[in-house]
Amino acid sequence: MNLRKPLILTVVASALVGSLVMNGISATAASVPGVSKSQIVLGMQLPQTGGASPGYNKIDDAARAYFDYVNSKGGVNGRNIKLVVKDDEYKAGRTITTARELINNDKIFAFFGSVGTQTHLSVVKDINRRGIPDLFVNSGYSGFYTDPKKYPNTFGGLGTYTVEAKILGKYLKEKYPDKKIGILWQSDDFGRNALAGLAASGLKFEARKTSASFVAGTHGSIGLGTQIGQLKANGVDIVIIAAVSSATAVAYATAAALAYKPTKWAVISVGADATTFQTILGARGTAPATSAALLAGTITASHAPAAGDADDEYIKAFKKINDDFNNGADKRWDNNVLQGMNIAYLATSALLGVGKKLTRPKLVSYLKKNGSKLSSAAFSPIGYSGTTHEAFTGFWLGEYDASLVLKPIDGTRVVYTTDSANGPVTVSNYKRPAIAADALPRVG
Amino acid sequence: MSKVKTHKVIGFRSTRLAIIFFVFILLLSMKFGPYNQFQLANIATLLIAVLSITLLTGASGQISLGQGAIMAVGGYSAALLVTRLEISMWLAFVLAIFVSALFGLFLGLAAARLSGPYLAGTTLVMALAIPSIAIRFDSFFSGDIGFSVDYGYPPDWLTNLLGEITIEEWSLYVALPFAALSLFAVLNLSNTRSGRTWRAVRDNEVAASLAGINIARTKIIVFVCSSALAGLAGAIYGFRGLVAPSVYPTDLSLLLLTAAVIGGLRSIGGAIFGTFVIVFLPDVIERVTKFLELPETISIYLPALMIGLLLLLTVILNPRGSAGALEHIRHRHKH
Amino acid sequence: MNSFLTAFFAGTSQGAIYALVSLGLVLVWRGAGVVNFAQMGQAMFTTYIASQLIQNEYSYWSAFVIALISGALLGALVDLGIMRPLSSRKNSQLLNSQSMRTTVPVIASLGILGVLKALAGIFWAGEERGFPAPVPTTGLRLGNSDLAITGFDLFVIGVVFLALVLTTIFFTRTGMGLAMRASALNPEVTRLSGIRVGSVRTLSWAISGTASSLAGLLVTPKTNLSPNTLDLLLIIGFTAAVVGGLTSLAGSVLGGFILGYVIAFVNVYSAPENVFLAILIFLLLALFLRPQGILGSKEVRRV
Repeated sequence: MNLRKPLILTVVASALVGSLVMNGISATAASVPGVSKSQIVLGMQLPQTGGASPGYNKIDDAARAYFDYVNSKGGVNGRNIKLVVKDDEYKAGRTITTARELINNDKIFAFFGSVGTQTHLSVVKDINRRGIPDLFVNSGYSGFYTDPKKYPNTFGGLGTYTVEAKILGKYLKEKYPDKKIGILWQSDDFGRNALAGLAASGLKFEARKTSASFVAGTHGSIGLGTQIGQLKANGVDIVIIAAVSSATAVAYATAAALAYKPTKWAVISVGADATTFQTILGARGTAPATSAALLAGTITASHAPAAGDADDEYIKAFKKINDDFNNGADKRWDNNVLQGMNIAYLATSALLGVGKKLTRPKLVSYLKKNGSKLSSAAFSPIGYSGTTHEAFTGFWLGEYDASLVLKPIDGTRVVYTTDSANGPVTVSNYKRPAIAADALPRVG
Repeated sequence: MSKVKTHKVIGFRSTRLAIIFFVFILLLSMKFGPYNQFQLANIATLLIAVLSITLLTGASGQISLGQGAIMAVGGYSAALLVTRLEISMWLAFVLAIFVSALFGLFLGLAAARLSGPYLAGTTLVMALAIPSIAIRFDSFFSGDIGFSVDYGYPPDWLTNLLGEITIEEWSLYVALPFAALSLFAVLNLSNTRSGRTWRAVRDNEVAASLAGINIARTKIIVFVCSSALAGLAGAIYGFRGLVAPSVYPTDLSLLLLTAAVIGGLRSIGGAIFGTFVIVFLPDVIERVTKFLELPETISIYLPALMIGLLLLLTVILNPRGSAGALEHIRHRHKH
Repeated sequence: MNSFLTAFFAGTSQGAIYALVSLGLVLVWRGAGVVNFAQMGQAMFTTYIASQLIQNEYSYWSAFVIALISGALLGALVDLGIMRPLSSRKNSQLLNSQSMRTTVPVIASLGILGVLKALAGIFWAGEERGFPAPVPTTGLRLGNSDLAITGFDLFVIGVVFLALVLTTIFFTRTGMGLAMRASALNPEVTRLSGIRVGSVRTLSWAISGTASSLAGLLVTPKTNLSPNTLDLLLIIGFTAAVVGGLTSLAGSVLGGFILGYVIAFVNVYSAPENVFLAILIFLLLALFLRPQGILGSKEVRRV
């Protein structure tokens, strides 16, 4: 084997490949990365392809639609917002590389709306040590937010799984003291966080009896038959689901197939998207009326208005913007689109709040100081402060009605609030400010 | 096979080639911006893993679809050592080599009896099952949250020597020496007596066994060496930010195999080329799609499509990969 | 109803599908000496075709038939377009060793898998969607108690059984089937006796394509359809094929059911987190204890 010549030739060939992608002369360094006279560049990483992408891949298009709308109205302090999106395929190894690309090549001012716990874990330390703002992460993992000394620049974009599970758990425990409560959960960080929150509210489950789990993603290969059968065999009356929406749909269909009718289903909001639910069951040949009947009566929690609540002023405004500005492959209105729009709204108000002289430290300290006063479509207060960077610390509990609109339980909307540790669940007195006629946030 | 050379000559040549690689990458990094410097660090890291495949498949004819799982073994060993025992990262990398070599020994004992598709399938099952151990025993392996580990900051003497060092440059300085050393080791191995023994087993097991070669033992040794490399690569790869199951998915194993195949399974130069291709391809595609203004619905799937097509075309048109193509051209020029 | 029956019924209906996947793998391994890692990629693709047809208001059964036919065509295409040109390169340096001759097609099939997944993403946006079942998916009742088995489960078991009977008849009663068996055992002798080995090969690819396409149609109503849904099925099917003996059709079917029960019982009596590990341990045990498989023949399996 003569290695020498091929190796040298290879090196030359490799150099050619390398030079293909070589940067030109780097642009003159602006004083603040990603901010120019006319533009603010934000970067987002999410799975656009691969097994974890369904549903989440709509968030970026929705956020961009809102930013485009803001730009059409003159931008933020005269600057347009540009959103650069990278597909990390929900592989943490890839996220590390795309993050460096956003930082060094796209020269973003801040990260915005990163999707996914595991993927974001791989870059959160690096982002923070570089001092880059890490806005409104689409993950309910409390570890990102509850210790601002560890991640000073990272701010949440969802309520934490723990807070939601605590609120839901307390309600179920008090409302159904005599019923057997069980859970179907996917065995990953999301499922475990939900279990921890439920445990904090006094709900404990017994393995192989009231607790059924499955490996995230395998509802598509191994099915959920045995898990649902187990809950049924143990006479569970109330089933809590901590899983993604597609798995929720499979779980309901499986239960129906097994003639299993628990008194109540309660679904953690991640898995309670009615649109996904009906789309998946619809393609399985279930008539919309039948799938609606399945989901009707399900309890779930939300920090935001129900996506199906056509009378809500924020929903009305966001839907209109979605129709006019969303260029994504799938712009059907659902919880994911609402979430994308809402964090874009939140980002716009934060950028407005900092003012014309925009720098990274200014944005971070503004959010610490004034973040809790920002408004959004959510009925929940915003938690940003010096001691926590959790976004939505409050949830209201609702029940799907026959037309799959989430309606407050017992008619009146009560927002409960708590922390991601062992603090008590209390009623929040937060009043959501009205949206302006032009659907742009107002600050101060 | 070329004529027999003494170990000394081979050692000298391997050293020279490893140094050429080292210097070449360093020179390239000076021309690059930070992002591409980081991509060079990725190349150095993944090259070690691709070499582990070249060693295994190219030298012995065995195919593994589970190199990503062995990388996970190396990554977890290093991360556990650093976070639990608080030893230095460098020592952890070295120990990770030993742990994964040991893992390779067990794997080899199981795999020595397997050939071709049996081994491919078994290692694929392994690629799926090994990361799930981290979730199964989450109190020890910290589940899918994993371990946040990184290269830390460059030592003072280096910054005094070179001035300020960016995070991207530091990543490269960590990975590159290991890549050069691995290159040196693999070049040496494939040219020594054991390398020739391995190839004899690959080309004809019956003939090799008649010639007195212990087939099973040879295969196990190949597995140990290959796993040691993969484990080292996995440790360096994990310390880019996170050691967790999502860092070592099944797709990683397939991507590494693609790099080895594109370059030419038997060529070490090919391994380098293949690694360049898989690391830079997404960037090239991004530029092309931007230039052609392709809709996002198509462009996001292009990297996966191109990787698949490259793999397929390489195998159909020129199974010996780019290295084979180069050799072909050289031969034509000679005649 | 106790958990034993739950596991048993789940194992049976899932096992039937695993058996089909495993059968598809064995057909191509016997017929062409290739373990086709793209098999469930082909199945995913044809199930998307069926799903598209159903969305365009075609009836379930016409979509069903078209999917099976596309499965056969896709299988034949893979052989004619890729695998045959590969095997005709036997004289090239890379393919002249026995170990590489079986390795290179595996690599090619991985390439095919990647391409099919990416194409499905481009054509169908990679969304996760449901897939209909032709018969009611409601549970059956025995007297007053609900069984953990649905009408659709019975349909799956019935269809798989029918497919197995047809395959058996084909291989034992028809000239083509006998030729395929002969060619698997000894291609050179078969060639000399005047049988066209090439068409026999392509036919085994086509039959395997149909079988896996059927598996895709039968599994997705219970799960969902996305480009990655069926990946795990291939891994399970491969394990089943090895357990049964890669060369034996009956063994592959048996292996499929065994895997179905293993997974279902681990699910019920242990924890789902242990399923992957259980598959690996089971595979390793099988390889150690009975490397030729339960029904595999010793001569064909090279150890």
